[in-house]
Amino acid sequence: MYLNRVHRTFPKLKKIITRPQSQAALAEQNEYTETPEYPPILDMSLKARKLREREALYQKIKEINTVEEKQLALNMPRYYGWKCVMLNETQIPYNAMPLVQYYTRSHFIPVDKLPDYYNETDEAANVVVQEIKALVEEAIVIENEGIDRDFPVTNESPIETQKENALAKSIVKQINRIITNNLTDKLDHILSSQVDIDPRHEAFWFVGGVDPPLEVQYWRKQYKWLRNTINDPIDRPVQYIGTPMLTLRGKLPLKPIIPYSEAENPEFKVPQFTHRPKTAGYFEKHRHGTNIPGYWPGDFDEFGLISYHGRGHIRKEARQQSFGEQDNLEALHCQALKASFGWLLAQANYQGFTTYNDLIYPLVTQTVITNGQLWSLYAYQLNTIEMHNDKFDSNPKNNVCFGTKPLKLYDTIENGKVQGLNEDVLKMLVKFYLNTPEERDHAMKPYLGKEEQVVADIEDDNRRSWLESRYKHLVSNRPKHLLLPEVYLWEKIYKIKFNTRFFEAKRRPFEKDINPFNRRLDDHLPPYIPKVLRQYPKSRKKFETTYYPKV
Amino acid sequence: MRLSQVLNRQHIGFMFKKHWVVQGKRVPIDSGVEDILKAKGIKVEDALEFVKEEPIQQERINIVGPYEPSPPLDENHPEYKTRPCFTLKSTNVLLEGISQAQVLTKTVIAENKLPPKIEELAEVPAPAAVHENIKKAILSANVFDCEQEKLPKIKDKDRPAYNFPRILGITDKRRNQILTNRLLQLVEKTSDSEVTQSKYVVNDVESHTVFDKEDELIQFQDVSHILVTSNKPVVHDLDKDVTFKDIPDLYPVKHTVTLPPEHFYSETSKYPIRPSVSVRHPHTTWLHYNNTEVKNIYETPVRQDQILGRSLTHAFTVASAYAKQIHGEDVKDLPEPIYINCIQTDGQKYHFGVLELNTLNVDGSEGTKNVWYSKNDLKLYDSSRYFGGMPVLENYNNKVYGYINALYNC
Repeated sequence: MYLNRVHRTFPKLKKIITRPQSQAALAEQNEYTETPEYPPILDMSLKARKLREREALYQKIKEINTVEEKQLALNMPRYYGWKCVMLNETQIPYNAMPLVQYYTRSHFIPVDKLPDYYNETDEAANVVVQEIKALVEEAIVIENEGIDRDFPVTNESPIETQKENALAKSIVKQINRIITNNLTDKLDHILSSQVDIDPRHEAFWFVGGVDPPLEVQYWRKQYKWLRNTINDPIDRPVQYIGTPMLTLRGKLPLKPIIPYSEAENPEFKVPQFTHRPKTAGYFEKHRHGTNIPGYWPGDFDEFGLISYHGRGHIRKEARQQSFGEQDNLEALHCQALKASFGWLLAQANYQGFTTYNDLIYPLVTQTVITNGQLWSLYAYQLNTIEMHNDKFDSNPKNNVCFGTKPLKLYDTIENGKVQGLNEDVLKMLVKFYLNTPEERDHAMKPYLGKEEQVVADIEDDNRRSWLESRYKHLVSNRPKHLLLPEVYLWEKIYKIKFNTRFFEAKRRPFEKDINPFNRRLDDHLPPYIPKVLRQYPKSRKKFETTYYPKV
Repeated sequence: MRLSQVLNRQHIGFMFKKHWVVQGKRVPIDSGVEDILKAKGIKVEDALEFVKEEPIQQERINIVGPYEPSPPLDENHPEYKTRPCFTLKSTNVLLEGISQAQVLTKTVIAENKLPPKIEELAEVPAPAAVHENIKKAILSANVFDCEQEKLPKIKDKDRPAYNFPRILGITDKRRNQILTNRLLQLVEKTSDSEVTQSKYVVNDVESHTVFDKEDELIQFQDVSHILVTSNKPVVHDLDKDVTFKDIPDLYPVKHTVTLPPEHFYSETSKYPIRPSVSVRHPHTTWLHYNNTEVKNIYETPVRQDQILGRSLTHAFTVASAYAKQIHGEDVKDLPEPIYINCIQTDGQKYHFGVLELNTLNVDGSEGTKNVWYSKNDLKLYDSSRYFGGMPVLENYNNKVYGYINALYNC
């Protein structure tokens, strides 16, 4: 027979071609039930179907075992990276507070002294302050006047800004040294805590409820089934990037400042900022979303205690004077909100939560912004990280931030002596260190695997190595080998606006109606295996295996 | 292309080229008016002569840039001197390594020997919690830090033109910064509060020292990556019966070899901490050996004895700058010896040294000499990196911490 002959040349074809004969179906015995069981009635409208698709994605990300794979999964839909709204720690445009509050979902409470939560360490702090007062004064004088040095500067920002930050950093290092040396004998968590200098803090999340850009509106107008959704809000990927001067982190998380149930308190209000971020002065950039709290997954000390930030960008050389005092104050609050939220979100991501799978317990951090003389102190409680387009109006939880104005640690330095040291400020700072982390009585990583929590736990050698290098490559955001697709200006004039070259073959993506940016991360040819390197005796596997998460 | 070829296809390159040619050769059309007017005897003048305005002479604006430009390096430079000064910076090494350093600083060496008190203190075992924290520090410096910078190019000897992919990772500068600062923090945390309160720690401070040696001006410019100072000068009790390695004869090499002569220098030495500060006496100075920064001027790879020479010149720089701050620029033999501890590290290997500075008169090799006690090549760990996707720390050596602790507490 004809088929038989083919089978001899292609033996595998036999397996592919199914037998044409039909098989008898097995009679189901208990096909009938007492009450009829109907499948669930699903809303088959476009919106509902799309929502179900998205929810399936959220569920898949939740079920992934390791931290790194979850991060890869967040980036899976975009080969060229997300078009992220860039929230830089030190670039704060005029009147940025509403946007920052909405994007970090933070309620800000201005305070003059730290919340009651810190009262229990009041006496201990008093004792410590008396012990270290003289040392701190001495350190401030030495750093300001006693050392003959030139801080290295670059041309990237005003020199005064860089010098102020460098001086602030050296003062912060000294004060941190004095306080930690004093407290190591008294508190266990200080000895084992790790101090990072200039760590890399990055955080990535989605914010929903933002007005769609014009391109999206034009695109929606093309299709009649989308006409009634033209103004529907869309998700905005947001990327925070910051570098604190110094951070302290430990093995255990800090206690919540307010009970977790208070997170849904309707008194904590966050302004709605639905305008496009460009209107507030925040711009977009194509990049892969990264969540990095200053260490790679697998480090033992994964909860932040304190982070110190510089405020050189508030100086008149770096920030327009016409913005005024009030806006400068708000800029500091914005910096604190962004920095605290960004760091905590990255930490939450290492606990297995993502922007699609909300936190189930609060996380706390303490942020200090200083130039050595002026100190603003913030305590931040992260209650929710889920604010994407499907949840932005239904999620009742808000984050809370308590913050002070910039307080003067001392008035002046005269004749090698600090004049008017403000002990209250020093006390508040010491209270931050005295705030002891505690073990929680619930599981910290419910969405991570039991055996595999980070990629290093994976047993399969190939998979582990591949995932580790792919993850590092992704978060490095190094430029691609090939340039990004683009429509050249001459094409825009001679091909798109005016159809002058109608006789040419249509080969460019825009002529074939293809969006080249609509490409998944795994949509590429894996590395080729040269014939000599293929497995003995005979292997037809031409390309190496990839281990992208299946989402 | 043949001139006769007909361009009957539209081509973007041709189009622009032709367009340029056509537009570039535009000729005003002669309407014949001039001839008619001339024939009638009317004088024709160029209208532009009347319309055109006089060119405005603008004064040259002196643009103030974002920063003061540094003055050009010529004879009018404020620091220009005609006498050359042989300069050793922390990014350079001596050709003959430790031997040349001995000649330059007039130092004898007690090899593999530190003052007895340090050896005694180094034997004291540290609690297990401390070692756990050191392991954490090593891992976070080599593995868990998130810096992703371009590392040096990988070269293969057998095929030097082959381009390997550039690896991103933690640079040696940052690795050393993290590790040494963490180690020092741990030492401080485990020390008594009286000791830590009498000490002060500064990062990245420069010391300069300028001195004459056999009618040649020599300067050392060095950076202490960490400088621990204390409120009183450090003093060591030393064994009397020590055999010293004497100052060698470098012939045929001259002691200023590989020290580039410079004409822009300051003739005064500089110790980074001002005399008004009470905790200004240098105690321990930490020096990083960053493979990407420290180079021979002749491109050959840096040898082990050159690295050891760095320790000695570094300790000498800090100690002599301090001595000159106390006793003045022209001091020769010191009334009391100045001691300074020095730790050099590339992260893995630790070189410990104690310098006894007796004299700043470094002419010849006779008379009072300085003394350098050293203990070299102690390895803190064999390797620490990501291996097959897993963080690895191999062969942690718990002896090294004892020496760091001893140098801090002595």
